[in-house]
Amino acid sequence: MDCILTIDINTSAVRIHAFDLNGKVLGMRKGSYPTFHPQADYSEQDPEQVFITTLYVLKNFLNEQIHPQKYKVQAICFCAAMHSVLAVDKNGRPLGNAVIWADNRAIKQSKMLKNSPEGNSIYNATGTPIHPMSPLAKIAWMQHQDPERFNQAHKFISLKEYIILQLTGEYLVDHSIASSTGLFDIHQLQWNARSLSFAGIDKEQLSTPVSIYFDEVGLKKEYYKSLRLASTTKVILGSSDGCSATLGSGDIRHKRATVTIASSGAVRVAGKEFLVDEQQRFFNYLLADDYYVSGGPSNNVGVAFDWFTQQFGNFHQGQEFEQVREELIRDAVYVPAGAKGLLFLPYLLGERAPIWNANARGVFFGLNITHEPKHLLRACVEGILLEMYSIGKLLSTQRSFDSISLTGSYASVPLFAQILTDIYGLPVQVNTTVDSIAQGTALIALTQMGYFSGLEEASASTHFTGTYSPDEQNHDLYMRYFEVFERLSGKLEEEFEMIAGLQ
Amino acid sequence: MNHLLLLQQGQAEQLRHFPYITELVKLKVQNIQLNSFTIKTHSELRVGLITEGKFDWNIAGQGYTLFPGDTALACPWQAIGSTKGIMDIGTLTWIGIQPEFFDAQGKLQLGTWSGISESEQGVMGKILAMNKTPVLTRFGAGATILQSIEYEIMQQEMGYRTRVNHLLDELFIEMVRHLSKAENFRRDFPQIFLKLEQTLRSNLAHPWTVEEMAGLVGLGTTAFTEKVKVFTGFSPLHYLINLRIAEAIKLLRQSNHSLTRIALETGFYSSQHFSSTFKKLTGYTPRAYRKNQ
Repeated sequence: MDCILTIDINTSAVRIHAFDLNGKVLGMRKGSYPTFHPQADYSEQDPEQVFITTLYVLKNFLNEQIHPQKYKVQAICFCAAMHSVLAVDKNGRPLGNAVIWADNRAIKQSKMLKNSPEGNSIYNATGTPIHPMSPLAKIAWMQHQDPERFNQAHKFISLKEYIILQLTGEYLVDHSIASSTGLFDIHQLQWNARSLSFAGIDKEQLSTPVSIYFDEVGLKKEYYKSLRLASTTKVILGSSDGCSATLGSGDIRHKRATVTIASSGAVRVAGKEFLVDEQQRFFNYLLADDYYVSGGPSNNVGVAFDWFTQQFGNFHQGQEFEQVREELIRDAVYVPAGAKGLLFLPYLLGERAPIWNANARGVFFGLNITHEPKHLLRACVEGILLEMYSIGKLLSTQRSFDSISLTGSYASVPLFAQILTDIYGLPVQVNTTVDSIAQGTALIALTQMGYFSGLEEASASTHFTGTYSPDEQNHDLYMRYFEVFERLSGKLEEEFEMIAGLQ
Repeated sequence: MNHLLLLQQGQAEQLRHFPYITELVKLKVQNIQLNSFTIKTHSELRVGLITEGKFDWNIAGQGYTLFPGDTALACPWQAIGSTKGIMDIGTLTWIGIQPEFFDAQGKLQLGTWSGISESEQGVMGKILAMNKTPVLTRFGAGATILQSIEYEIMQQEMGYRTRVNHLLDELFIEMVRHLSKAENFRRDFPQIFLKLEQTLRSNLAHPWTVEEMAGLVGLGTTAFTEKVKVFTGFSPLHYLINLRIAEAIKLLRQSNHSLTRIALETGFYSSQHFSSTFKKLTGYTPRAYRKNQ
């Protein structure tokens, strides 16, 4: 029987799925790798470890599941987290670690650019908000702060490009990953001269941008041999995690938003027009077939709840973290909506969309003498989800939607799904049996191979395992809370800066 | 200074059968004496338990304030003493234990009196040597064990020698378990694992065993293996191979070291073991991989 493999090189792990040609999951394997924080603002990964883990998982998966069951692998399609950047020398050897999306070292460079007239033009051309997350800002940082590495660099590539380079010997970048660099013109489909000059590089120092369907190079012959794959097995470049998750979580023709709640989060919409915003609050990433994925990311989602668990969870008798977190979620169910008039702004790590303020900080607001720890708990969950609503609300000013697909690790937590549906006042649909990123990646491969006429038809093949419906009363209540939430997060800008200066 | 109990090796008859116990002291300090507790290293491992008062001590170059219930732990290479050179007012008990061998790399041999297996002593030595917090808080077991040791040594009832040895083993086990659990309290497994990963990385040449790794994070080997599999997708030893090969690739590409040197530095037994593992995983021999780049 025929199958395809999807390889998702994500922030914490590589996940490899096998799908049949109807887009049904046959199996999955993963392998994790660490993120290093050599300094407070730094987040790095070891490219060799990411590569070797990918290769090891792929090999084990093939040898232990795919080959014994006599599946024939027709194609391998890739996907990866956005915004990573790695300098390599002329032999393709990494010069140090890859700098990933969470890294904030380039805060100065991005601030400078954002406040310049150049900034707006670059944002409009590239679709990537000017922020330390973007490779544009990181390369500019390296030019000024690490000139030795910068000058040795033959090319600047993402982790995905590094894996592709190792496996195929070619420097290639798909349009989706390219469109998250801040260096790529999403209208002209070429590297943007203004960005290049800000970063201090020329376009030969970047990979060749190609469509997500690109399949013109194969694996190095040693890998076909050692992985026992037929030399006809296609390599399809694929897309980015954000684009794939959106594609894999519902019909892209529908008026639908995809909310991802994992360690970090995002609200995204797919459409044929990119969103213009004078305040540069949305990203616009390029998928294919004229589709863009637009939206906003949040730093403080699962991370904020983990923080709460760590500080306030009941760790009696050496209970494990995951167990305590589950207990907290169970406890939060029994606290009435609104946590007795207590609000939480979850900005523990500063915030990206919609306020784009690295100095933002967490706030419990409205505490009175009757509040108990359980109210703080409930407020924490609601605060995280109100933040996901604030991104969605801003998006809806440009693109209306009437349902939500919820993805990410918290999609399987009914409390989060129910509060989200109540806040939005819209039905929330989940598929808890399939990883939307892998599904989206498989749909790209199957479209490329001709099993679907295009991404529209491919995305229509997705389905849901559950639907949550809003409670009108709770919705009205949450809207009153949101009014306070929104006012506060806007009002506190100066105070955020003052308090951040004291930390 | 009022010694409620003062047993010192070579002087106290009660310690004659326990040459590895250098001293067992219970002290009530009512007035301050100059230079009564200067900072110095001792050849033995010292465990001190505060029962009354507040003590400002310096252990391994770091200042700590100890309160009743706190237990201080100083390994043979770590200096311990009072910041001001004086023993503060209060009550405390300490015991000195002289292992047959114990060094800063964590190699530990307690001696023939101990019933703890050699390999477990190795793991415990590593944990003690890597420990960064020499003050154990809420270490209730310590007080009970020290009290029982004192009772057994003083009363000398039938079987007391065996009892004392068991109690010393018990003390080591409880301390090490407490240390590795305290390290990881309120942390989720990804955080715990990240710390372990850094430890493995900083010494890849060491022939790590699952027992050692599990001990470092305060878990039993079964639970540890299960958790590592769920989190990383690999068994602990396969994860370790990942780390070793990734490091070896770096060395192959960025250094001129011989294959044997790279093999040993990254924790393979031999260059043959390295080559076969490398080839199995990457499809290339290390030599071919280096040449190809």
